[in-house]
Amino acid sequence: MNKLWLVIRREFIINVTKPGFLLSALGVPVLFAAIILFAVLIFSPDDGAALDSLPIGVVDRSGMLDAGATYAERPDLFVEYESEQTARAALDDGALEGYMVLAEDYRATGTVRLFSYEGISDDLLPAIDELLVANLQAEINSAVPPARLVEPAVLTVRFEDTGREISEDNIASLFIVPLLFYIVMLLAIQVAGAYLMSGLVEERANRVIEVLITSMTPMQLLLGKVIGLGLLGLVQLGVWAVIAAIAVSLSDRIAFLSGVIIPVDLLVFAFVYFILGYLLLGSVLIAVGAVVDNEQESRQLAGLVSLPLSIPIYFSFVFISDPNGPVATALSLFPFTAPAAMIIRMGFAPVPEWQIAVSIALLVLSGLFFAWAGARIFRWGLLLYGKSFNLREVISVVRGQPVTATPAPKSQEVTA
Amino acid sequence: MNETAIKVNGISKNYGTFRAVDNLTFDVRPGEIFAMLGPNGAGKSTTIRMILDIMKPDTGTIDVLGGPLTEAAKDRIGYLPEERGLYRNVKVIEMMTYLGTLKSLSSQQAKARAMELLEQLNLADRARKKVSELSKGMQQKVQFAVTVMHEPELMIIDEPFSGLDPVNTRVIENLLKDLRSRGTAIVMSTHQMYQVEEMADRLLMINKGQQALYGPVDEVRQRYARHAVIVEGEGDWARLPGVVRVEPYRQGTMLSLSDSVDANDVLGAIASSPAFHISRFELAVPSLNDIFIQVVGDQVPEDFIRSTQEQEAVVYE
Repeated sequence: MNKLWLVIRREFIINVTKPGFLLSALGVPVLFAAIILFAVLIFSPDDGAALDSLPIGVVDRSGMLDAGATYAERPDLFVEYESEQTARAALDDGALEGYMVLAEDYRATGTVRLFSYEGISDDLLPAIDELLVANLQAEINSAVPPARLVEPAVLTVRFEDTGREISEDNIASLFIVPLLFYIVMLLAIQVAGAYLMSGLVEERANRVIEVLITSMTPMQLLLGKVIGLGLLGLVQLGVWAVIAAIAVSLSDRIAFLSGVIIPVDLLVFAFVYFILGYLLLGSVLIAVGAVVDNEQESRQLAGLVSLPLSIPIYFSFVFISDPNGPVATALSLFPFTAPAAMIIRMGFAPVPEWQIAVSIALLVLSGLFFAWAGARIFRWGLLLYGKSFNLREVISVVRGQPVTATPAPKSQEVTA
Repeated sequence: MNETAIKVNGISKNYGTFRAVDNLTFDVRPGEIFAMLGPNGAGKSTTIRMILDIMKPDTGTIDVLGGPLTEAAKDRIGYLPEERGLYRNVKVIEMMTYLGTLKSLSSQQAKARAMELLEQLNLADRARKKVSELSKGMQQKVQFAVTVMHEPELMIIDEPFSGLDPVNTRVIENLLKDLRSRGTAIVMSTHQMYQVEEMADRLLMINKGQQALYGPVDEVRQRYARHAVIVEGEGDWARLPGVVRVEPYRQGTMLSLSDSVDANDVLGAIASSPAFHISRFELAVPSLNDIFIQVVGDQVPEDFIRSTQEQEAVVYE
């Protein structure tokens, strides 16, 4: 069996079964899905509310209901009373859900006062609106349907360059979807990168690495780790993609998800930027893991290295207000911030194609450079134990200059 | 089978201005235990790393199993690094299977072989335990099992006995002797001289990166043998014929002999005279430890000499 494949498989299986990974990769999305499901069950609009409820009394001081229009869905929902006293009596008898009083100056002010004991269901409010609009329409003798009077503009914005459409209904997806993409991608890159590095630090600390590289080439080991953990990241993205697909399929049943769309192009770019971002960060982390053999120190350095990835989130307002401005453009071209920045930017506005091309090209080039440099440092770092991290030496190694790599004196073990 | 398992020809390695290995030449043959000795920092680990192609020598060539080390040949080598450890949070059997498959065993073969070795080492009941739950000695045995599970033709083991109790030391010793009898070439780097005396066929002593001693263990010891005997008992040793000098030596007395007599004559003289009683009589063949200290001399760190002497005291008293 190919040794590269063995390493890929091991790195993937060992890490995919870690409780920490299961929690972050599966637990978080599942929790997210559970919340959505909960929302579906608890808050799903009960269309029957207006049809099932007790009637609502109406005392019309404005004379507007004389126009004679009724609530079409259920004409007997609204019952007219002559006076507030009779309506109140009916309410007290338990015959009404509540009653409302249209003020004399209703036409000018729109004042409607509603009386009830327990408050009336929110679902009845649209019915009240509809009754009033129907009567207004009848009064002005208009042929325009009531719905138009309620909502004169149903807005859809179409970006001509991407062809993507965003309608007023899914305005939430305009902000939430790109940020969600960003967070998920960042999480995947950082989790995979952190496992990559801590695995390497562990193998160096316990010298398993010496056994490994006397069983295969250092490059097989390195590639196997990078690919295995890259797959791990893809699994994470995949889980989210499934959750997102479920969310979209349920979107017309849940108010706050209504109109959410997951743009396919954004999805594709999220995967592309994940792979490139992971290659870049992973390579740098390999280099760090290869020269630092203290778990704590390596974590700190890893945090520092992955910091740029999360910089764009602090500029969210820039991406919203000026998605094609200089700051947003710069962040989406600079390789270490590009994966996150470009995904957010793409979510908010169409990005010129040449910029996408430049950003990907820069990422690929820097990713390849750091992969190459990381591999050199990895190979060199294999021999260093208990030696502190020295940036000048690391740079010399990358430049291929000879370096004094004196292995640290070993502890003397002389026992009978 | 190859005539030589390792053929090292004039290798040198510099770390900056420090010459870690200086023009070493030696070979290791199948079916022998080859000891590599030397004080700390003498260049043993560097030499081993060059043999294993973790490092390249600056000059010189190394043939391993018949040529420069190839990836395929790595499957025929077992390596036990000095400061060892294992994956900690995985089950023993899973880790062994993985490391076995990296030596090109199928996973079934690797698993079967791992179980076989664990049984041999009395660890079968620990196979499903996590490595971190094992004692240090058990981990050491597991690591040894990993080194031999693919039945390598060449084994390179660095301090194989450190941290093992006498019982387990014996278990590993027997395993090594068994492997040797089946033709495995075994390179053993160690500080424990008595183990070399007991097990090794040939030795290479390195000091400051250079060859200090090289050859069959017995020959090396004979080369350093003095024309003297060591006795314990009663009597006026100086009156024996041919004895030119009497000096206390450890628990006994060392008698230096003139060229005209040999040990047999001295023994005969002692036996034939009622004035002498002996409880011990032996040739003054120095221990490797003596030779080591003599060769390396004051270049060896103080604490190393002390600890090897203590060790020797334990072994020989």
